[in-house]
Amino acid sequence: MGLHRFKPLPSGRMGILWTLASIRGAALVEFGCMGHMLYSGVTLKRAGVHNACKLYSTHIDETDIALGGTERLNHTIDNVVMRDHPRVIFLLPSSIPEVIGTDLPALCAELQQEYPGVRLLPFGYGGFNVTQHRGVQEALLLLAKTLAVGVKRTQEPTFNIIGSCADLFRFQADAMELVRIMEGTFGIKPLCVMTSDTSITEIENMGGAHINLVIRGEGEPAAKHLQQCFGTPYLLGRPYGIDGTTRWLDQIAQIAGLTADAAFLKAQREISRQQLAAVMPSFRHIIRAHPEEAVLSLGGHADVVRGILSFGCGEFSLGKGTCWCDCPDMTSEDIPYFSEEQWTQAVQKHQKGYLMASGEALEWAGRNTELQISNPDTKWRLHPYEPPFMGFRGAVHLVNLWINENIED
Amino acid sequence: MKSNNGIKFLTPAVSPGNHCPMRIASVNVEKIKGLSSLLVGMPECATHSRLYNPKPEGRNGELHWLYVLDAQEVVFGCRNGLIDALRKMDNAGAKAILMIVTCIPELIGEDIQAILNEVQPELSARITFVMLGQFKNISYPPGSWKTMEALGMLMDGKATDSNRINVLGRAPEEEHIPLPSLLPALTGRGIALRYLAPGSSLEDFQSAPDAVLNLVVSPFMQPLAARMEQEFGVPYISLHTLYDVESIDKAYRALGERFGYSWDGAFDKERQEALTLQKQAEKRLGGLQYIFFPRIDIPLPLAVYLTKLGMEPLLLHLEEYYPEDREYAKELTDMGYNPWICRMVNAQADLPILKKLAPDLCFGYLPEPNKTIPCVPDLFDFYGQVGYARTNHLLKRILSILNEISIAEKGGTVHGAASI
Repeated sequence: MGLHRFKPLPSGRMGILWTLASIRGAALVEFGCMGHMLYSGVTLKRAGVHNACKLYSTHIDETDIALGGTERLNHTIDNVVMRDHPRVIFLLPSSIPEVIGTDLPALCAELQQEYPGVRLLPFGYGGFNVTQHRGVQEALLLLAKTLAVGVKRTQEPTFNIIGSCADLFRFQADAMELVRIMEGTFGIKPLCVMTSDTSITEIENMGGAHINLVIRGEGEPAAKHLQQCFGTPYLLGRPYGIDGTTRWLDQIAQIAGLTADAAFLKAQREISRQQLAAVMPSFRHIIRAHPEEAVLSLGGHADVVRGILSFGCGEFSLGKGTCWCDCPDMTSEDIPYFSEEQWTQAVQKHQKGYLMASGEALEWAGRNTELQISNPDTKWRLHPYEPPFMGFRGAVHLVNLWINENIED
Repeated sequence: MKSNNGIKFLTPAVSPGNHCPMRIASVNVEKIKGLSSLLVGMPECATHSRLYNPKPEGRNGELHWLYVLDAQEVVFGCRNGLIDALRKMDNAGAKAILMIVTCIPELIGEDIQAILNEVQPELSARITFVMLGQFKNISYPPGSWKTMEALGMLMDGKATDSNRINVLGRAPEEEHIPLPSLLPALTGRGIALRYLAPGSSLEDFQSAPDAVLNLVVSPFMQPLAARMEQEFGVPYISLHTLYDVESIDKAYRALGERFGYSWDGAFDKERQEALTLQKQAEKRLGGLQYIFFPRIDIPLPLAVYLTKLGMEPLLLHLEEYYPEDREYAKELTDMGYNPWICRMVNAQADLPILKKLAPDLCFGYLPEPNKTIPCVPDLFDFYGQVGYARTNHLLKRILSILNEISIAEKGGTVHGAASI
């Protein structure tokens, strides 16, 4: 990791926490110093996560460390069970127990028999070489493996969204847009929006869905597990743009054997195109006469970057600028991982065109922070009803951002 | 109880708990003009510190950079990486660097002092450090007092200026906090005051050993005053712990004698008001039982004062047990009181216990407004205030809360129409 000027790549422990913290009907206990959970709570509130999982910490002091004391964990669990009656308690290690080698799964196994009505679920992947994205992946997989139970397929078709987690920028708005277009196109409702808008009960019942919509690579192992256990087919992808969203819906229809409401789809496409019509001549002019200004540079989660790029450079004919992702495990030839030094250089070098990246990067570079597509964020996001990036409405939103950038230029 | 370790949690499940000292250090360092920082820790600490010190570069060329340990460094240490980082910050123009060392580097026993000894001779920037692992520093005060104390390492001995006094615990520009009347009285007698606190400049701190005296007006600055006395021979007088008129009299008299001043009745009016209010308070507070909630800067000296006024302490939340607190604890026990001491880390769980104790009055911050517990809130706003005026403000606030309670107990409202 080394020297940083900006926020470093978050740890796997942080990824796990951000994935679990939005689940209702559960409590989350972190074994470690209390400051971390306090500021994680602040970060989650800033991201717009409210009234979901109750967050606790045990704290740990030097005597606990020296003597390997875990009584604080026992007392905390006892207190949480007594006061909150959660269905499930997620247990997370923090960095200190990782260093001293506290065996959280063993402690949970020992304590479980004292609380027959409460599931104690320890999470691993707290090691120091595990990054945020791996943490998210493992958390999603463990939830699917341990909580989802064998239930009958729902009589009416239903779907799950897998991978809508609090670590992604504007995660709630994007999930809501997907739910809206799924309801409109197929008349079906979600069983579980994993994990940004869900509960323990909904995760338990997710095996009843007719299709799993996996909106980030980290969700695929969970979807594969659900396919294996319950035979639920899945689609991996994030729908961006008008045509991109239509294609995504076509794939869902094929995989799940659903019939799309052609009138709804037609209306959505028409409305979107009408909303874009006023600015299309400007874009055509820029693309034709000033191609150096019609370039799209993107930095963020690999799947988000790929999705927006496919809309901007495919459907919308912009040129591809410098694009990078924020996770070394997701690096690819077309969207490589950029270290802090690389992305700061890329941002500084960016002269013309549209630069969409993290709030932290845009703010530091004095760029338009309206073009934020990824975290780290620098602002509060109290309400979840901001415009999305995905879906039909997301397409209009993205174009709106680009045209305003032209005006500001 | 003899140390911080003796302060137990009132209830076990922490939610959300106390601030980490790293947070306070990050806030404070960002406010000292010219001082750079290097936070050393894991991704969690580095990420969360940016909530409170968000920009990597300050307005005056300060660098606030982060050093994150990788898996190998957690096992084998981060000495080489830190030395390299300090060199880079030195090359980038840092004038002085405070290293904020968090849990994991402290836990693995990284010898920061040895690293400084090795690298300091080759650097232009002066380096100091503060060890703030939360497993050793349970709440936020060490983030203030240890950080301020660490700045002593950036100071060098200087010739004494007999007309210079440092005021430790107020920044030069703090118009929102009333200025204790003592300070303009000193200025009026030709004394030059230098204010040292977050909000001062690195230069102010580095020049501080030239003062003839340190006046301490905040508990967070007392350890720096003690260090300056030991290393540079600058004596100090603590004023922040003095609430009762008699002890303020004594301190002001001693200060006057030290400089050969007569105060010429400069404080008579506020002193007389304090005496009157103290008498009223003794009548109204006598026999009332009280509890301290979180967010009281100087709990034990305040507890001693309230107890001297006739109140009975039931339970005191302490964020930090300072070495000098032993004297105040002894004063309390000598008066025949031995209150419970605790750390409140979960307001919802603590509340039923506090209600059961049924105090007459509480002091400090209660997260959820609960009208069944009468409370004197917001005691943090006495930061940087000392002397008779602070006592007056405190007593007026307590008496006004008592008045509200007695009105509520009488029932109805004081104003408005009544039925025939």
